[in-house]
Amino acid sequence: MAITRRDVLKTLTTGTAVAATTGTALSGVTHAEEQVAPPPAAVGMLYDATRCIGCQSCVAACAEANQLQPDTRLDPLHQAPRDLNYTTKNIIKLYKPTDGKSYSYVKQQCMHCVDPACVAGCMFKGLKKDPHTGVVTWNSQLCVGCRYCEISCPYHIPKFQWEGFNPKIVKCELCKERLAVGQQPACTSVCPAQAVIFGTRAELLAEAKRRIQQNPGKYYQDRIYGEHEGGGTQVLYLSRVPFEKLGLPELSQESIPAKYLKWQKRVYSYLAVPVVLYASIVGVIRNNWKDHQEHVQEEAKKTGVRAQL
Amino acid sequence: MANPNETPTIASHLHACGVSRRSFLQLCTALMVTAPVGLSLTSKASAEEIAQVIGKARRPSVIWLHFQDCTGCSETLLRTSRPDVADLILNVISLDYHETLMAASGHQAEDALKQAVSDNLGKFVLVVEGSIPTKDQGQYMKLAGRPALEVLRDVGRKSAAVIAMGSCASWGGVPSADPNPTGAQGVDSILTEKPVVNLPGCPTNPYNLLAVVLEYATMGRLPALDQYNRPKFAYDRVIHDHCPRRAHFDAGRFAREFGDEGHRQGWCLYKLGCKGPVTHAACSTRPFNEIPDVWPIGIGAPCVGCTEKAVAFRVPIFDTVDIHAATPPEALPLVHTPVGTIGTAAAAMVGAIAGGIGGAALMASKRLPDGGTAAHVTAGSSLDSTPQRPKGE
Amino acid sequence: MIDRWERDVPVFDVPIWTKPFAVTCGLGILALGLVTYRELAGLGPASGMNDAYAWGIWKTFNTMVLTGLGSGAFSVGIAAWLFRRHRLHVVLRTAMLTSFLAYLSGLMLLGIDVGRPWNFYWILTPWRWNLHSPLLEVALCMPVYAMVPLLLENVPPVLDWIYDKRPQYRPWVMRAEKIMVRFYPFIVGLAYILPAMHQSSLGALMLLAGDRVNPLWQTPWLPLLYLWAAAYMGFACVAGTLLFCSLMWKRPLDLDVLTEMNRLTAGLIASWLLFRFADIVFSGKLGLALEWNIYSGLFWVEYLFLSTSVFMLLDSSKRRDARLIFHGYIVAAVGGMLYRWDPTTLAFQPRPGAFYFPTPIELLISVGFVSLAIAAFIFLAKVLPILPAPLRLWRRMEEERKTVQDTATTAQFAAAD
Repeated sequence: MAITRRDVLKTLTTGTAVAATTGTALSGVTHAEEQVAPPPAAVGMLYDATRCIGCQSCVAACAEANQLQPDTRLDPLHQAPRDLNYTTKNIIKLYKPTDGKSYSYVKQQCMHCVDPACVAGCMFKGLKKDPHTGVVTWNSQLCVGCRYCEISCPYHIPKFQWEGFNPKIVKCELCKERLAVGQQPACTSVCPAQAVIFGTRAELLAEAKRRIQQNPGKYYQDRIYGEHEGGGTQVLYLSRVPFEKLGLPELSQESIPAKYLKWQKRVYSYLAVPVVLYASIVGVIRNNWKDHQEHVQEEAKKTGVRAQL
Repeated sequence: MANPNETPTIASHLHACGVSRRSFLQLCTALMVTAPVGLSLTSKASAEEIAQVIGKARRPSVIWLHFQDCTGCSETLLRTSRPDVADLILNVISLDYHETLMAASGHQAEDALKQAVSDNLGKFVLVVEGSIPTKDQGQYMKLAGRPALEVLRDVGRKSAAVIAMGSCASWGGVPSADPNPTGAQGVDSILTEKPVVNLPGCPTNPYNLLAVVLEYATMGRLPALDQYNRPKFAYDRVIHDHCPRRAHFDAGRFAREFGDEGHRQGWCLYKLGCKGPVTHAACSTRPFNEIPDVWPIGIGAPCVGCTEKAVAFRVPIFDTVDIHAATPPEALPLVHTPVGTIGTAAAAMVGAIAGGIGGAALMASKRLPDGGTAAHVTAGSSLDSTPQRPKGE
Repeated sequence: MIDRWERDVPVFDVPIWTKPFAVTCGLGILALGLVTYRELAGLGPASGMNDAYAWGIWKTFNTMVLTGLGSGAFSVGIAAWLFRRHRLHVVLRTAMLTSFLAYLSGLMLLGIDVGRPWNFYWILTPWRWNLHSPLLEVALCMPVYAMVPLLLENVPPVLDWIYDKRPQYRPWVMRAEKIMVRFYPFIVGLAYILPAMHQSSLGALMLLAGDRVNPLWQTPWLPLLYLWAAAYMGFACVAGTLLFCSLMWKRPLDLDVLTEMNRLTAGLIASWLLFRFADIVFSGKLGLALEWNIYSGLFWVEYLFLSTSVFMLLDSSKRRDARLIFHGYIVAAVGGMLYRWDPTTLAFQPRPGAFYFPTPIELLISVGFVSLAIAAFIFLAKVLPILPAPLRLWRRMEEERKTVQDTATTAQFAAAD
């Protein structure tokens, strides 16, 4: 086929369009690369596993404050959850190594990440991060029950209610009702050993750093978990044993949405790439459409049978 | 008081005193009920058995010495009624010297001590109440002109066993609090070659003493002791582990001020400085004055740790203590709880589905001709592609 | 084998109610019954999903994997329309119908899988959309794709049916066809851009799971690899369907068309394998692939299936061996399905001690909905002109119809006499 002026023009336009689109998309790079910072009034908790005595007052207090039914599936007389679930927003677990000596307790609840993966995945913003306090909350009116949050959360926190026909996603919301009236979350207010305390993220970081400084060698790698992990969390951890043993994964300093959804954001920014691709596809099809139609009409004439679209 | 020629058995003595067998059996029932678990005495099944055992026992001779004490431990002994103190000191044991209870005084008292010791040489039980000053040749406490140190060594040497009644006798108690100007010490740091049973407490629960004495009298041996020579039946657990207010601790319900709502409700006193978590004692299970819940925590006063040398009179009363469990409870879930199972029906179904699809595919592929040309296809077969002759022609 | 596919002809010589049709219908109805149980009792009793494996086979297999198989309209269509493979136009209707039914089945199961479906109306309120969420992209794009371009692409066979069976509506049909012809390129364009978007977003779904997807599968190229896999899986599904249907309903095969498809599929798979391997090597994961554990085993099984299929397809094209072609496509389909399913379940390691296996009800619902799609295909292939055939088959159909009509008219006259 000889190259016509039309072809040249088309190629040029397509080329420019593609270049423009890529430029626009890549310009979204600078936006996508920015690390999300904690909100100005970010509040959280500091849990020091070396102070925790495993008394579980926090578990009882959380259940009471959130009006949750006790999990009596294993033991009909006592609230004995095996894991966080649809009726347990806070739990104390035991890390028991084989040597039986360096055991540690760990408190598990929502980490209220600075850039949460669950919020990034939630289709209709059912999980939302408060722009002031940074507390991640769930809205039953927006949630579809797709459980993408369960898949995305690196700490396995959101739990789905598997029974019944009005299932919820259940997770710690830092006792937002208590916070609203100036109280502390239930768990931090009852801890007898002051193992978990409440405060602004800045205060808690300062306190944790102070403890590390005053007790060199006591804390694992002299590190505060949650300061940078996964982009930072608002619930911070101090521990004597490796964090991985307590179920806290070693994440990179980039948050999960920033690290993994980079290209999705770039390709779909302003829908530029899809629109340009669509335009090019339609252009090519229209070109081939004419040839095809001619061919089909010829066949119809030859055989005498109606052409099929 | 004692017959120097022959020590009669308790049974014969009681008979001689005119105590009926019925009363004696009642005493034995009382002993069986009130004596602490953990003694071989209480492993007896009935009062009769106890009666038999005790009946055969000889009334042990007990000499009770007071040093730097407040006499609180004797006072607490007086407030027992099962058995009645009179019964106790007259019928069950032979209390041959006790400065507070005996009638004698002055030279008579000194003689009484000499007599008691020589009459029961090597057989009596020495109960010590109060700490012993050791500084400056022990001059800060003298008994009949002799330093307490000397008296203890002298009498203790001749005893069969020593019981240190109260914290003062066990490890120094109040007199040994900072700066310990008299050098007050407990009995076992002075009498190092004798078996010493420590019964710390301020005061000790009197049944601890009773149990040890009875065990010794009837079985001829002392109860099992821990590393601080305290009987395990009373001192093996911390108060925190058998406290009636533990449920409040576990649920996070604390009294924060004396007289506040939580205090009135009887909530846990941990935040008011209760030393229960670090204090070995049995106060929660054996009330004082034989009235239920009459013990410090029971009346709303945080435990001060009076049995523990490292706690009492050292750690401020309202300071909270660290709580450490020796081993973590088995009831807590592990960090990674297993979840998800495979059912046999489901596994079978998957197999069936895979088999079904695989079978269908295999069956289908068998019918497909392989690598053949039209020559291999028989006329009229399903894949015959030769043009059909139109019908009707 | 020297026959040629020239136009699409309904399977007129097979009765509608056959055993396979009855069985697939039965399974489908059973599944629908079980769905009622799931809606009333909740997801827990009806499935084996748990908090560690929150997505079971419904989302991962029926939606994520089977819509990959249902990408025939996308890949075969692109080959035909964008790359001018004229021969493939005759199989496009098969591709479009299989895709449409696969998507319908997958979307229905997606609706059954979500726990609070009554809140899905927020899809209509753009201000509530979280534009960063890959799942939103899927939830938006897939229904639009199925209900607009894919549905419209499946309208022509229905128009043909009306033209043949309801002659009184012929003028409407002509008018409709005229409109369609005008807008067809735009519809078809949508039919390619939309699947490109959501098939890649299906891949992006597992990106958010981060480290918990085994590194042999987790890669920033996951969306592209999923899309590429959908391309060859679509081919496999269409070709496999054609072979299977021709076999069951005794239709001739057009080896030229099949050979064309074989070459395209083989090319797609081979390039995909190379790209994936290059990604593994350049991100330093080759060591992981060479370890001796279950994950590297899975990885190599996928490679085994897919590379074998390449050789089978190319070889069968040379030898024009229908059986080998069929096997080749099955192996390709299995390999592709395995690749798309692994990162969601088998290669998904949420935490130690977690395990998932579907329950019988879950399996029955999953199989049942696939059966439903197959039953629908069987029915529609018999009624509408979908499957390709040589022209003489069309003529035979017309003749048989005329014979039937004549017999009926004769009978009428005879009765009138």
